[in-house]
Amino acid sequence: MNYYEKPTALQEQAYTEAKQHFAEHLKQFKANCDAIHNIESNLPATANDAFRAALQSSGHIIQIDDGTQWQHAVDLTKITAVCHRRTSGGLEFAVVESLPLKSGEMKDVLNSGHDPSEVLQTFARDQRQILSLWKNDVTAQIREHLEEKHPHQDMSIVVESFEIKLARDISRRETLAQNHSRGIRV
Amino acid sequence: METIPESKEQTATPPVERLAYSVQEAADMLGVHYFSIYRLIQRGKLKTCRALRGKLLVPRTELIKLLQTDLS
Repeated sequence: MNYYEKPTALQEQAYTEAKQHFAEHLKQFKANCDAIHNIESNLPATANDAFRAALQSSGHIIQIDDGTQWQHAVDLTKITAVCHRRTSGGLEFAVVESLPLKSGEMKDVLNSGHDPSEVLQTFARDQRQILSLWKNDVTAQIREHLEEKHPHQDMSIVVESFEIKLARDISRRETLAQNHSRGIRV
Repeated sequence: METIPESKEQTATPPVERLAYSVQEAADMLGVHYFSIYRLIQRGKLKTCRALRGKLLVPRTELIKLLQTDLS
C-alpha cells in the first residue's frame, strides 16, 4: 500500500470522529510527553537544585505511606517531586509521587538513590516506558473503536495516523509523516 | 391445566463475571488514575495480556492479587 495514499472521505470522517472520541486521552498523552521532555532537558539543573536543597536541608516534610519522611526539593510535574533525606549512608534522593485518590492522597517513592542525577534519569526512563505502553494501548483502543464503528472498512490508514502522532509526541522528532501520514494530517 | 409463567428472575441469565478489564476500567475499579495502572504494569506489579491486537487487558485475578498484596 502506498504510504502517501490519499484517504477516502470516510477515512477522513472516521479520523475526525476518533480524534474527538479520544480527545482527552490524546491531550493527556501529549501533556505527559511534554512533561518528560521538560524533565529531560532540565535534568542537570534540577539535579543541582535538589543537591543544594539537600545540603541546606530545606523543604517541607513529606510523609510517605510506608512511614518514611522526606523533604521536598524540586517539583517535577503536578504530582511528582524530587525529595531528599539524610540517612546513615549519606544524602538520599527520591522521586515521590502524590496521587489524589478518592480515599485521600497516596504518597509513594517511585525510585531513589544517592545521586540525584541518576535518580532523575531512572525516573525519566521509567516514564518513557510508561508512555510507550500507553501509546500502544491507545492505538489498539483506537483500532478497536474504528473496527466497531466501521466494520468491513479498511481503517488502517487512520490507525497509522494516530500511531504516528503519538510516536511524534514521544520523540518530538519532525518526520516526513508529519504533514502527510498517508494523506491524513496528524 | 394452566401453567404458571416463569418469573423474570427465573428466566434472566445470570450476569457473566468478566475475566479481564481495560486499563481505564481497572483504574475505575481501584479508584486510581489510569496512568497509575500503566505505572503498575511498567513496574511489573500488574500482569496484563495483549490478546486483542495490542490492547492491554488486566485479568481480574491480577487485580485481586494486587489488592491482597497491598493488604498483607
